[in-house]
Amino acid sequence: MMRFTRSKKGMIGSAIVAAAALAVSALPAQAASTETQGVTATQITLGISQPTNGPASYGYNKVAPAMDAYFKYVNANGGVNGRKIKLIVKNDGYKVTDAVNKTVELISRDKVFALVGSLGTANNIAVSNAVDLAGQGIPSLYVNSGFSGFANKSTYKTMFPLFPTYYMETKVLGEYIKKNFPGKKVGIIYQDDDFGDDALAGLKQAGVTPAASIPYASLSQSAATAATWVSKLKTADAEVVIMYGVTSAAAFALGTAYALGYKPQWIIDSVGGVSATLQLLGIQAPLLNGVITSSFLPASTDTTDEYIKLFQTINTKYNVAGTKFDDNVVTGMNTAMMTVAALKAAGKNLTRSGVIKAIETKGKTFPSASLAQPQFSTTSHVGYNGFWIGTYDATGTLKPETGKYKIYTTDSGSGAVKVSTWKRPAMPAKGLPK
Amino acid sequence: MDQLISAILIGLSQGAIYSLMALALVLVFRSTRVINFAQAGQAVVSTYIGWEVVTRTGNYWLALPIAAIAGAIVGAAVESFLMRPLSKRASKGAIAPVASVILTLGLLGVLHSGAAIIWKGDQKLLESPVSAMGITVGETVYPFSQTDFLIIGTALLVMLTFSFIFQKTNLGLALRASAFQPEIARLSGVRVDRIRAIGWAFAGAAGAIAGVLVTPGSALSPNSLDLLLVFGFVAAVIGGLESLIGAALGGILLGLTLSFVGLYIGTSLTFVVPFVILILVLLIKPSGLIGGRKSRNA
Amino acid sequence: MHNHRAKRLIGFILLGFILFLIGNRVDDLRLYQGASVAMYVIGIASIVLLTGFSGQISLGNGAIMALGGFSATLAQSTWGLPLPLTFVVAVLGAALFGSILGVAAARLSGPYLAGATLALAVALPSLANQFTFLGGEQGLPFDSGSAPTFLGEDFSRFKWFYWISALAALLMTWLISNVLQSRFGRSWRAVRSNSTAAELVGIHAARSKVLAFTLASGVAGLAGAVLALNLGGVSPSAYPLSLSFALITGAVLAGISTLSGSVIGALLLVGMSELVGSLTSRFSLEDVLAENLKELLVSVLLILAVVFTPNGPGDRIRERKALHKKTK
Repeated sequence: MMRFTRSKKGMIGSAIVAAAALAVSALPAQAASTETQGVTATQITLGISQPTNGPASYGYNKVAPAMDAYFKYVNANGGVNGRKIKLIVKNDGYKVTDAVNKTVELISRDKVFALVGSLGTANNIAVSNAVDLAGQGIPSLYVNSGFSGFANKSTYKTMFPLFPTYYMETKVLGEYIKKNFPGKKVGIIYQDDDFGDDALAGLKQAGVTPAASIPYASLSQSAATAATWVSKLKTADAEVVIMYGVTSAAAFALGTAYALGYKPQWIIDSVGGVSATLQLLGIQAPLLNGVITSSFLPASTDTTDEYIKLFQTINTKYNVAGTKFDDNVVTGMNTAMMTVAALKAAGKNLTRSGVIKAIETKGKTFPSASLAQPQFSTTSHVGYNGFWIGTYDATGTLKPETGKYKIYTTDSGSGAVKVSTWKRPAMPAKGLPK
Repeated sequence: MDQLISAILIGLSQGAIYSLMALALVLVFRSTRVINFAQAGQAVVSTYIGWEVVTRTGNYWLALPIAAIAGAIVGAAVESFLMRPLSKRASKGAIAPVASVILTLGLLGVLHSGAAIIWKGDQKLLESPVSAMGITVGETVYPFSQTDFLIIGTALLVMLTFSFIFQKTNLGLALRASAFQPEIARLSGVRVDRIRAIGWAFAGAAGAIAGVLVTPGSALSPNSLDLLLVFGFVAAVIGGLESLIGAALGGILLGLTLSFVGLYIGTSLTFVVPFVILILVLLIKPSGLIGGRKSRNA
Repeated sequence: MHNHRAKRLIGFILLGFILFLIGNRVDDLRLYQGASVAMYVIGIASIVLLTGFSGQISLGNGAIMALGGFSATLAQSTWGLPLPLTFVVAVLGAALFGSILGVAAARLSGPYLAGATLALAVALPSLANQFTFLGGEQGLPFDSGSAPTFLGEDFSRFKWFYWISALAALLMTWLISNVLQSRFGRSWRAVRSNSTAAELVGIHAARSKVLAFTLASGVAGLAGAVLALNLGGVSPSAYPLSLSFALITGAVLAGISTLSGSVIGALLLVGMSELVGSLTSRFSLEDVLAENLKELLVSVLLILAVVFTPNGPGDRIRERKALHKKTK
């Protein structure tokens, strides 16, 4: 009796689905996305997928609103060749499956022209594979990741990283250590995934062999685990310690070391070393005194820099009311500026392949706040390739070494670290790319 | 030598927190035979309430008992309004063996998302009321601070209190009776339903205290106590899921193991170790290192 | 009996044809969602088998899916196997793991099994980070292949995903429904309701449980491979704890011991995201609310389902009908 019912239920289930199918099939089929999708006479639609709230969003959740603020500024000043920019922000909570799903939505439903600033190495790799960005010719501009693989033009035809890679960063830091702390024992705490592994490799490439290499599982950071890190570092007598992880891990490392009376020379990576975020996580400014970190954009506290001044004004006028101006805001606005530069350079006849070509041929001259020059070319999609080193003072303000920005450039391979002679050109009028 | 002492100290402090969570799980299990996975959610909501108190009054000492009371109320409410109706309706059919587990999972989801909606997903900080600086003995600074004393002290206090209640009071007797033989207890005049709710209230309070104690050393977000639940469960299983002392010892043991592994091998194994321990205990001595005669089989 | 089997087979073929028709009519987004639904159908089916029929709870089927996904990916990169064979490897690999897990699980009851599988769900992704050949945090790429050229240049990539996922789901569901109707299905239900009585009629309870675990794991492994296909790769973060919970939720919402419920559960899971998404834009809900609304709604539904229709709405209707008959 029951068996019959089950079979019957199966048939009923099929019947329901059939009915639904017939209803749905009344809809016309839709065309695939094209070269000019997202471009109308008056508007360009762009999309970004990143964590906007939740545990992984700390700091990053200020980037998209900052980008939007800059776009609004541009829209108020003539737009891009007469078109206004619309940015659609989707939250992916830093999860791979969500990143892919939201990107599919952006492309298929919201019909964006291009993706900008998508966050996360694993996420971007998955999106690139699943959606087949290269095959479909969909541009993904200035992805927010330090993974060196994205610069490979043959694998990621339509993707452009922007930030210098983790590998580059530790090579630069390694050289800096060799020069400024010769003979001292070095320790490194790093996140136990590609983020940190890349960093460790870069350090070794620079010729620095750490006396203590301490990996930590991502998301396992706490005061207790940090205590074990400190204990190991003390045992190895490390006097210079590189902390290569996310901000919360850096905060624990700093705080716990202080509580245990361990005072090495801290060097924190550009991701984890953002003063504003560290202070929000409970690290008081005086604790940052003497901590070294790296960056490629001017410090958000540097009010003598023309780009910073412009961004501050845009933040007050166009960003969400009450947003505190910090390095995350600078990052967002800078990415937006580079985006506008690319769109303008592609001309009035805006197409996807046009934008990609524009970045490859003219990207090196795009205006941006970065003190390292973008390296885009027709053979490689490498973005910025350098850092300046700075030290925090007792108020949590980052001061560049020797008072001026000295940029060290290198590559993601075995190339040497050099001091750059490139001078950042003056900002275009009103901060609007031509 | 210093490393060894550090490992032990860190292990004890963390272990105390695991013990509290294990305690919460064992309390519920003893009185209702249910593993309350929602404990992580209950504890986090109570901790948020504690955080509100600290933010508004700046007084941590006030927050601790208030969070505990909040935890107790939430615990009792969950038992009365969710678990009880469930046991009446879902006692047959395919779902019976797993109904309570699934219910607590659903509840966990509600508490997670509810907390995220009310307090947002970003990380909140809770400052310890006492110093978190390591204690200096002679020339060495040890990873043990006044905060750690607070943690261990509070955990001990809670455990001794509960132990006393369970072993020496009529309430405790009623709690134990309702757990093992609810029908007979009812016939002896015990208000089984109300007693069960009290058991859940105690558990909720214990979980809340664990949450408020552990947060100064990490950060508060809707998911921040999930891992503590897993650790608490492993600790409870080590101790046998039946005895409060077992939960306490299980927690300390787990804390020490994690800290030794972290120090001598590496903290990359933080998530793998509890699973390995769990499997070992379940395969070798399922009744736990301390536990008694009851078997693990259906 | 043969009549029922034939009827079932025809039913599935019919369903396949209908799905094919739908696929030609909808846009890329719906196709991709359809592929996701298919993936969830397989995953939920594994819970129906394991928990609904065999009465064993697993909070870690997401981790078993991960095993399937990684097996398929490694099979592709190490031996260069074509797509269908990688799926077979996924099923076998996961089933093998399931048999080992099943032996341990057979000795554990409800809460202990739940806790052990919970720890598994938390530990397994972390394990992938330890070994570089597993790709670490960013995972390994999976070549989803593309439609064969005879289908035309413009054949949408998402349609390709949809076809493969739906086909896998249809095949697996048909196979499972046959198994569930067989003596294995009957012995699982017998052991679940009363293992002592079952033993008395000659059913080896422990062996039956291990078999259930093995099969269910194989099914979950397939779901994991389909997910790898749809994501173009595997990584630990694609198989989080919430995936395991989603599977159980989907299974309970539609009746934990009804296989056809897998479809409804899967539609609900994917549909819920869609629903919340459109609610968000319709009412311009605040970001935070929108994100968590989905989890809140699904969890509330789960609680309501477990308390009021624990064995699925179908069961409720049957009960009422039976009651109705009695009182007539």
